[in-house]
Amino acid sequence: MKRFGVQIPQVFIIVFLVLMVVLALGFEIPMNWIISDALVRLVMNGVLVLSLVPMLKAGIGINFGLPVGIVAGLLGLCISVNLRMKGLWGLSAGMLFSVPVAILLGYGYGAILNRVKGKEEITATFVGFSFIPLMNFFWTIAPFSNPAMLWPIGGKGMRPVIGLKSYFAKALNHLWMVEVMGVKIPVGLLLFFALLCLLLFVFFRTNFGRAMTAVGENEQFARLAGVNVARVRTWAIILSTMIAALGICVYAQSYGFIELYDAPLMMAFPAASAILVGGSMGRHTHIAHVVIGTFLFQTTYLISGPIANEMMLPEVAEIFRLMITNAIILYALLYEGGKRHDVG
Amino acid sequence: MKKTFLLSAMVMLVSLMAGLCFAGPAKEYRIGIVTPTLSASEDEFRGAIRVADKYPGVIKHISLPENYQEEQETAITQILSLADQADIKAIIIAAGYSGILPAIQKVKARRPDMVVITAPIWDDPDMMVKYIDLCLDTDWVRRGITIPEKAKKMGAKTFIHYSFPTHMAKEVLAKRRDTMKATCERLGMKFVALNTPDPKTGAGSTPMLQFLSEDIPRQIAKYGKDTCIFGTNCPMQDVIIAQALELKFIMAEQCCPTPTQGFPAAMELEITEKDAGNFDKINAMIAQKAAAAGCTGRLSTWPVPVGYFFPEFATEVAMKMIEGDLKDVGVETLAPLAREVAGVDVYFEKMKPELNNYYLIVMDSVFY
Repeated sequence: MKRFGVQIPQVFIIVFLVLMVVLALGFEIPMNWIISDALVRLVMNGVLVLSLVPMLKAGIGINFGLPVGIVAGLLGLCISVNLRMKGLWGLSAGMLFSVPVAILLGYGYGAILNRVKGKEEITATFVGFSFIPLMNFFWTIAPFSNPAMLWPIGGKGMRPVIGLKSYFAKALNHLWMVEVMGVKIPVGLLLFFALLCLLLFVFFRTNFGRAMTAVGENEQFARLAGVNVARVRTWAIILSTMIAALGICVYAQSYGFIELYDAPLMMAFPAASAILVGGSMGRHTHIAHVVIGTFLFQTTYLISGPIANEMMLPEVAEIFRLMITNAIILYALLYEGGKRHDVG
Repeated sequence: MKKTFLLSAMVMLVSLMAGLCFAGPAKEYRIGIVTPTLSASEDEFRGAIRVADKYPGVIKHISLPENYQEEQETAITQILSLADQADIKAIIIAAGYSGILPAIQKVKARRPDMVVITAPIWDDPDMMVKYIDLCLDTDWVRRGITIPEKAKKMGAKTFIHYSFPTHMAKEVLAKRRDTMKATCERLGMKFVALNTPDPKTGAGSTPMLQFLSEDIPRQIAKYGKDTCIFGTNCPMQDVIIAQALELKFIMAEQCCPTPTQGFPAAMELEITEKDAGNFDKINAMIAQKAAAAGCTGRLSTWPVPVGYFFPEFATEVAMKMIEGDLKDVGVETLAPLAREVAGVDVYFEKMKPELNNYYLIVMDSVFY
């Protein structure tokens, strides 16, 4: 069991999930809808969760400054909508536009985090929190011109929510969609996620990727081996920011709206929960943790809603879900802390 | 530079006054308007700006902190700062927050002559009427009757009410849900109350919106398209209206009825700067998009946002109060003034029979 990263908390959440599936069957909630939605949710959130990996591997900790990357992605998407680009092209253009922004922001973000070694997570949290108000200011004065994006009363500045239906909503979701026994399988979406996972996997097999892992494992050793630690850390942060930017592009096309202003503020937390639920223990993070964690975390979310409504006990399922997921995160943090204690 | 600006402002003011046939010279007082920030609520913010344009130099517009819940003391200080300026004779607070009453109590202690109008704030009504000259709000509970009645008229057989525990813990919203249920039973409609993940706890609105976009198709598959869907939270409206365009169910009214909530994002309305704030144009645009999606007659709302209407209406009332033209407020004095500002009929009702300065409004609807 341990070899596959399956620990007590995962067993717990799997049992909880199975229990809910049984209940859902009992209440005759259509399972084909649930499975279709679970697949979409996996990728929709999975890319954001995947973006945590480079920073975790490089020993910088959980990227609570995820909003930085998200903002880069949002900016890319807005540029694409402003140019009225449609379909997969529009989405790809949005992703493409967001990459340079992410590199730039990631570089600055990396410079900040390199100054606060050992306190990266709390600093990152506040970088995220202070960056969003700054961007709120930016969105109100941003010089975009597509009237579909501007405030309906004032006519200037960006709306909080921008509809994507005539641009690229669900462009990736509907790519190569096949239906098997009533279950809609978004093949294109899944392949895109698989490709990203594979690229990241391959990246960590390259010399540079190995150097990144080495910095995470033992910084002193890496430095002695001739690795430029600050540079590697900065690149890990840039990489995380870039993947986060792609992540929000995937998220927005699936949701069908671009959400600006305060929407990205709390997005780091469910992503962090997901990767911890998946069994990530700080530096010991694998891509499998991302996939397992996102699937379990999002599916409990997905299925607890309809069950709660059927049971007429809306609070109970919600409380259970929160209790279990939060307890797992606490366990993960404790376990990681304990191991550090053993080593030190 | 400053002098020229002041002079031009004066000229504009005087000419505007003359144009609007308001008797007398330029106002010798100012009115403070307090609203949330632009990103927190566009309607109130733009409403205040519109009044400021209408009466240049008369309006002092301030906005409350972005994260009001965490910074209530800042809000109190801001409101008190208005009371320190002797030429400000009235304060209008259009915020929809609770916890502002203490600021008003302090204002009244310092300046008993200050006219205070709230449109709305959400504190204890019995306390509010003691300190506030006129309290205005939307008639949330009566909408529990008007919305299902409208839905029935639009052809609904089922009425779905989406909400979540923190909203249902609010007395007014819970009461409205119960009223909706009773009204649906009276009209022979099926009433379904559904819960979404709570946006006020944990991860914000994201899980709630995700749940809605997955659950609405399920419910429509179950109850058919002659279903009216109502959500109690503002961010829900984008998703509900977008789904309505696809699944052709009925959306009789949003939680805050206005053409500018939900519709612009869901329909990707392209509102140019010239047309921005022109509600006749915006309503025509929505009707056109609804027709294109095959949803004619399935969507409705109030023609002007209440949040946009309130600051201007409250300013007119405050001016009349300061100038002594309006001695006591009542349905007969408020309704004509409201009609003039809104351009449609506005119905006033006392919040409680014994409270003489707390009025709730409901507006006429527009059907797309």
